[in-house]
Amino acid sequence: MQTHSLNNINIILAENLCKSVITSDGVLHILSSIDLIIKSAESIAIVGESGSGKSTLISLLAGLDTPTSGVIKLNDKSLTEMNEDGRAAMRNQLIGFVFQSFQLLQGLTALENVMLPLELSGDKNAKASATALLNRVGLSHRLSHTPQKLSGGEQQRVALARAFVTNPAILFADEPTGNLDSKTGAYIIDLLFELNQENNTTLILVTHDQVLAARCQRMIKLDAGRIVSN
Amino acid sequence: MLMGNFMNTLMTRFNLALRLLWRDSRSGELTILVLALIIAVTSSTAISLFADRLQRTMTTQAAEFLAADLVIASPTSIPNEWLTKATQFKLTQAHTLEFSSVLIEHDELLLAGIKSVSSAYPLRGFLKTSASEYIAEDDAVATESIEHTGPNPGTAWVDNRILSALHLKLGDALQVGEKKLTVNKIITYEPDKRGDFYSFSPRVMINSDDLQATGILQPGSHVHYFFQFSGDTEALTEFNRWVKPQLNPSQRIMDIHEDRPELGSALERAERYLGLSSIIVILISGVAIAMATRRYTERHFNATAILRCLGCKQNEILWLYGSQFIILGLLASAVGCLLGWFAQELLFHLLRSLLPQQVANPGLLAVFFGFILGMAILLGFALPPLLRLKKVSPLRVLRRELEPLPSSAWLIYGLAVGIISVLIWRYTDDLKMTSLIIGVGFSVFLLLGFMVYGLLVFSRRLLPHLSLTWRFGLQGLLKNSRGSVGQILAFSITLVAMVLSFTVRTDLIDNWQKQLPENAPNHFALNIFPDQQQSFQQDLQQQKISSSKFYPVIRGRLVAINNTPVQQIVSKDSQGENATHRELSLTWAKELPEDNKITAGNWWQDSQTRQVSIEQKLAKNLKIKLGDQLSFTVGSQQFIATVASIRELQWDTMKPNFYMIFSPGTLDAFPSTFITSFYLPDNQKDFLNTLVKKYPSITVLEVDLILRQLKTILSQLTEAINYLLYFALMAGFMVLFAAVYSTLDSRIHEGALMRTLGANRSFLRKTHIIEFSLLGLIAGLLAVIISEAILYALYSQIMHMEYLVNFYLWLYVPLTGALFVGLAGCWGVRNTVNKAPLQVLREL
Repeated sequence: MQTHSLNNINIILAENLCKSVITSDGVLHILSSIDLIIKSAESIAIVGESGSGKSTLISLLAGLDTPTSGVIKLNDKSLTEMNEDGRAAMRNQLIGFVFQSFQLLQGLTALENVMLPLELSGDKNAKASATALLNRVGLSHRLSHTPQKLSGGEQQRVALARAFVTNPAILFADEPTGNLDSKTGAYIIDLLFELNQENNTTLILVTHDQVLAARCQRMIKLDAGRIVSN
Repeated sequence: MLMGNFMNTLMTRFNLALRLLWRDSRSGELTILVLALIIAVTSSTAISLFADRLQRTMTTQAAEFLAADLVIASPTSIPNEWLTKATQFKLTQAHTLEFSSVLIEHDELLLAGIKSVSSAYPLRGFLKTSASEYIAEDDAVATESIEHTGPNPGTAWVDNRILSALHLKLGDALQVGEKKLTVNKIITYEPDKRGDFYSFSPRVMINSDDLQATGILQPGSHVHYFFQFSGDTEALTEFNRWVKPQLNPSQRIMDIHEDRPELGSALERAERYLGLSSIIVILISGVAIAMATRRYTERHFNATAILRCLGCKQNEILWLYGSQFIILGLLASAVGCLLGWFAQELLFHLLRSLLPQQVANPGLLAVFFGFILGMAILLGFALPPLLRLKKVSPLRVLRRELEPLPSSAWLIYGLAVGIISVLIWRYTDDLKMTSLIIGVGFSVFLLLGFMVYGLLVFSRRLLPHLSLTWRFGLQGLLKNSRGSVGQILAFSITLVAMVLSFTVRTDLIDNWQKQLPENAPNHFALNIFPDQQQSFQQDLQQQKISSSKFYPVIRGRLVAINNTPVQQIVSKDSQGENATHRELSLTWAKELPEDNKITAGNWWQDSQTRQVSIEQKLAKNLKIKLGDQLSFTVGSQQFIATVASIRELQWDTMKPNFYMIFSPGTLDAFPSTFITSFYLPDNQKDFLNTLVKKYPSITVLEVDLILRQLKTILSQLTEAINYLLYFALMAGFMVLFAAVYSTLDSRIHEGALMRTLGANRSFLRKTHIIEFSLLGLIAGLLAVIISEAILYALYSQIMHMEYLVNFYLWLYVPLTGALFVGLAGCWGVRNTVNKAPLQVLREL
């Protein structure tokens, strides 16, 4: 499989990142003064208690939300200066996602779900690439199944295939084993790290699981919206 | 004490219900439901008020509408003995006489309804006139004066239309038959103006003393006599009792205490069609209400599970939500009733020239009906989905996937069908018709539903061959196939009704006229007396005007078939009923008329009298067979004839056609007039002038003129029906929004997910445009197919005309459907494109 050539550059750069929301009780600071540099092909685990700001941090880094202040650069391009459609294009080119609840489109088959990001970027070989990747995750016999007909583990494998099919520079994984039993979870994590290595992808993993976090090269711990260890 | 506690609990719960309702309404949760209910209540209150006002006009002002307390309507004069008897009973008397006649002034021809009135007319009520020709509607009241008697001898009062059509002014002379009369007033209100076709001809009212001098009235003329009486109630009852047994079948007695005068048939039909159109509105709104309630219910499963967990009993849950819906229903019905009030005013405005000039005020009971109906619709369509909340298990707090069982299909459809049936029955007043409409309607819906569903399933096969945007657009439609079928049906039924009413208004009469052969007769001459026939025929021949045969006409009524009265044989509303309710034009002929074809039996030989040949459709409707004995009355005489043959005839030849043709000699005892039709080219129109002046008693009907009048009536009726169809269209959009909102959560989720994967907003927008435009396009196409099928049947089976496919319809209807549904749908889902994709992560 082809790997991208972004080695050893700062693929993610966040400076003085803040996110706060206004509630009836006043301003709530979810993230405060986050500075972060992530190099290409690095694997990072973000850990912390519930409500520590993990999900908000990766949603900002992935351009799913905008910070209250601060700068985020992906591959040297400022996310914070882009509009929503610009960020969508950036996500399509650079980013893959794996979610705790799989987030497959219910109306589409496994194959169609995996083809989707390629089709969105106008790839003519979408079907071939998607089929190949589904073979890779061991689902060649499930191509035409819709998510309802797949087990949790199978659904997460489809999600993995979808995340890697565009050969993304960065993969965000938010509690990818949260909804799976431990055996299936372990299998999924192995697969995730294998694919990550094969593709030379930068992996940013949000997890509660210390063992899983230990498999990453670096661990960032959040508490009350601040980085307490890096 | 106990009572106090109970009241306290009740109030607390009511407050809770109000609070929850307030929250839900602020979040827009109930908007569709309320709007759909308002639409349904508005349209049905408008119709109910409209019908109520007409009925009240007819009943409460009956005396005025008869212009007397008791009226005998008769095609001939009544015996003097009856009038003497009325005098003995000390009844005041008046009489009027109505007939059609062609007026000619300044080379303009006009078919007018002449009414001669005796000096005591009107016995009840009053006339209104104006002495000014140009009255704006606003100051009409100011210049109107009330008249308690009709015009004086030598003068005529006319409708404003007469003046404008014949270029006359007040004070000018108007020639009626052989008599010149001075037009000195304009009639603005006539109490006993009937709502039938003849009364659409503009009125000329003259004094009965002038009638003789016009020379129009001769034995056998086609006229309506009305003998009016008023006086003491007891005397009237006595007189009624005395005169009733002596009436012949062609005479009718109208008593304000016993009979309600009939609405004109055009109006009666309008009322019925409007009623049925309002049922379409109710049905479509009902679907929207059911869909909206379903979504409401599903979104309240979790809250209900928590309430159940906290100790709420099932019945308390039902009361909590039920009371919210009752409050909602009351509010929406109140708004609907108010809007319905305004809507019916507009309806009266649209139909103003078909209606009596003075209409009774709306009754509160009709508004109350709107209110009750609103609650009934809510009950029928919202209760079944709402009942699911009662069944929510408290265990759902732990296991979100636990869903309550849906209500039984019998309950869901049974309640709705029940309410719709009661409404249809109310408008048709005919149980057989109601079951027919329900049966046929249900089957058609089912068939169409399967067709659309089949089409959607089939289009799934196209998916792999489509581009991504088109695939997603189409998938949006396929994902919730049942919902899509509902929306497509709602729109196509409405569009069909609109296309039909539009086509019937614009094309039907024009097409019919176009298909008549060139030089087909365009004038009918009736009331030609035997002594005029030869000279009239010669006059036509001299001008080289070709005419059809001259047929003798005797007005008579079919009263019995094989000694069984016809009223017992025919069902209400059938065509047969129509033909037995009025006088028929009877004729005799030695030879079978051209364009007639014997389908059963044989044409008579010379020597056979008392034989009759009957038109086949009427024979079928009245179940008449060869050899049957038919009893007829002409005036007060009765005779019997045997059915010798059954004929098929072509109605659109523009030649005189007859339901009943008798063998020669059968009708010799009765006075007759003749009828013929002829073709008069435009450049010979002047000849009509000469003809009418020479034969003032002959009625010449211009086909063009009649068609023009018919078109006016038709266009008013269709306009009123279209007006209701706009409500149906609005209800259709409510179904669309209800369906869109029921999928909104998953759409938002999908939109966010797609954007997480890199789809931009314009991609999502395009898929929405495709999805909803396709929905509108399919609904439009289906509507055109159904409309064309109905129009084809109408043209070929009923009008017997060649049907030409209207290609514009195929272009415009689907495109309009696609445009409007596309726009509305995209508006409905606009938020799914704009919500931040963070939504997906937040849901984790």
